[in-house]
Amino acid sequence: MRRIKERNLKKQGNRTIGIKVSLKDRSLDVVRYAAYAVSDAAYVFIKPAGKSAVALEFAPKNSAAAKNLPRRFKEELNDEQKRAAIFDSNRDLREFMILKALAYEEIPPAGQQEDSGLTPEQERELDALIAQVESEIKKESSGNKVKDPLGITRTWEEKYGAKTGHKKK
Amino acid sequence: MAQKQATKKNKKSQSLLPQALWQKIGANYLLTNDSGHYAWLKEKDFALVTAGKMAEKDPLFAELAAKGFIRNRLDFNDLAAKWKKKNAYLYYGPGLHILVMTLRCGNKCLYCQSAAAGLGAKHTDMPLAVARKSVDLAFNSPNPGITIEFQGGEPLLNWEVLKSTVVYARKKARISGKDLKLALVSNFSLMTAEKAEFLLKHEVSLCTSLDGPKALHDENRVSSAGSSYEDTVKWIKFFQARHDTQVPEYRVFKPSALLTVSRYSLSSHKEIIDEYVGMGLEDIFIRPLAPIGYARRLWGKIGYDAKDFSIFYLKSLDYILKLNQRGVVIREKMASMMLDKIVNFRDPGYLDARCPCGAAIGQLAYNYNGDIYTCDEGRMVGWEGNDLFRIGNVFTDSYKKVITSATTKVCVVSSNLEAQPVCARCAYKPYCGVCPVYNYETQGTLWGNMPANDRCGLFKGIFKALFTLLKNPEKAAILKKWVAK
Repeated sequence: MRRIKERNLKKQGNRTIGIKVSLKDRSLDVVRYAAYAVSDAAYVFIKPAGKSAVALEFAPKNSAAAKNLPRRFKEELNDEQKRAAIFDSNRDLREFMILKALAYEEIPPAGQQEDSGLTPEQERELDALIAQVESEIKKESSGNKVKDPLGITRTWEEKYGAKTGHKKK
Repeated sequence: MAQKQATKKNKKSQSLLPQALWQKIGANYLLTNDSGHYAWLKEKDFALVTAGKMAEKDPLFAELAAKGFIRNRLDFNDLAAKWKKKNAYLYYGPGLHILVMTLRCGNKCLYCQSAAAGLGAKHTDMPLAVARKSVDLAFNSPNPGITIEFQGGEPLLNWEVLKSTVVYARKKARISGKDLKLALVSNFSLMTAEKAEFLLKHEVSLCTSLDGPKALHDENRVSSAGSSYEDTVKWIKFFQARHDTQVPEYRVFKPSALLTVSRYSLSSHKEIIDEYVGMGLEDIFIRPLAPIGYARRLWGKIGYDAKDFSIFYLKSLDYILKLNQRGVVIREKMASMMLDKIVNFRDPGYLDARCPCGAAIGQLAYNYNGDIYTCDEGRMVGWEGNDLFRIGNVFTDSYKKVITSATTKVCVVSSNLEAQPVCARCAYKPYCGVCPVYNYETQGTLWGNMPANDRCGLFKGIFKALFTLLKNPEKAAILKKWVAK
């Protein structure tokens, strides 16, 4: 905002308000969005003003609207600059979050999980069988190690140990 | 060097707020995010948070972290779950199907958006073949829950077709396994005991218009038969009594009423609300008049600007809350729907405040002649001679063709808030929606110009009021009770 020169704010004969804004530390889009935000009060024309600035010409829609226009525009410009920085730094994060949300599947609570149709005894037998198969697979694979220098096939726990509940300093 | 720069960049980005929107209200900032979480911050805290300088030991830190406002403490599962719940409608096709049974009506309401035809205009009655085709198309929607709403004009003027359509739709629901809701919007002027029994037996929910006490109601809703108030009240009481006594064979729904606020209503908020309470109605939907259709021609006489409506709305909300404090059960429907999003992260099914809006992808309106429109408002524009929002006809176009039409697409694109320059930056975006038909009718463009858009101003006023009320524990408890189900 420091770059907006107050002396450039002037009311002209045809009732337009001129404001010159530097583009050295903000993009043209930031200026455009800030100008659009006050388009209820004025028609806005944006023209180049040298290599790194633009001149905005506000034509107020009525005299009441003209009153606070420069102040409103400045506030919008400040806000927009902050928004643009936050948006830029979060673009990837936000895309990730929305993609995750789009693909999100709610896991039903335990009580609502599908009934397997097995008796508790059969469930226990099945668990024992699965444990036996898993231990056999582990035995077989331990004598037949595959090269994995980067540890890609290892789980997070195998690499870093189980969660201890203590935060790393 | 390159690595060093990357680290520096990372440090910088880590220090900023995650994606969030804000609005300065008074001395404080309202902060919201895509998932619908919100937080109130004092100016100094807002500066700390946006600069990424809020200390972990700060009492606000835990709350902000839990709500997804601290960048390195994001709970993606929680944020994703809330986002999906709030936007659940994106996964279904249109659920609301409005059948315009006739354009005829005995009333000549001042604001009638449907531009009703005279009683003699029988050519505007929907033939049974059109009604059946409309139901068939409605059931082609992938939405597992279908609501068919019978509208007009006055739909009871085409009673035989309405009756057959109810039976046909119920059969269709049984075969398809879909959940079907049927609703009738009527002024009750032609209601009889026989019709009422049929509607109750087939579980058709009933909705009418009630604009307030007799004098105001009759002033807004001019009837060719004298007072329209008497019939409305008589049948509201009848259906209330039937709801209260219930029968084992079928469910009897509580009747509901819609309020349309004209210029004549602006000074009578208490009287209007008292009328609803006196009638035993538990919801009042304070809807602004839209300058669409017939109302646009009379705007100078019955219209008002957004500021006038906002004052009326806020006074009404305040009075409703006072009644609640005294133990009276009455809720404001628009507030309830917004609160459902804000408090419960839930989609209340309010098609007007969705992103993208409900036009075609949330609802379809079937005109008496089989023409299909994006929504009822789009049909009203069509009635005025502009078929911009017509997306097909039940005899010539398939569901797929209708839903992939250029008009459907343009409504989706123009009501996508991410692409609306002001909305994309608005703190109320997670809960709001724009209406391309309103924009087109009032500003001559589907996109509209939100800074100068009265509807936008109105919604902002409502959101501001609701968020401010939620800061007050006593009022927040009442408001949360409205949507605790």
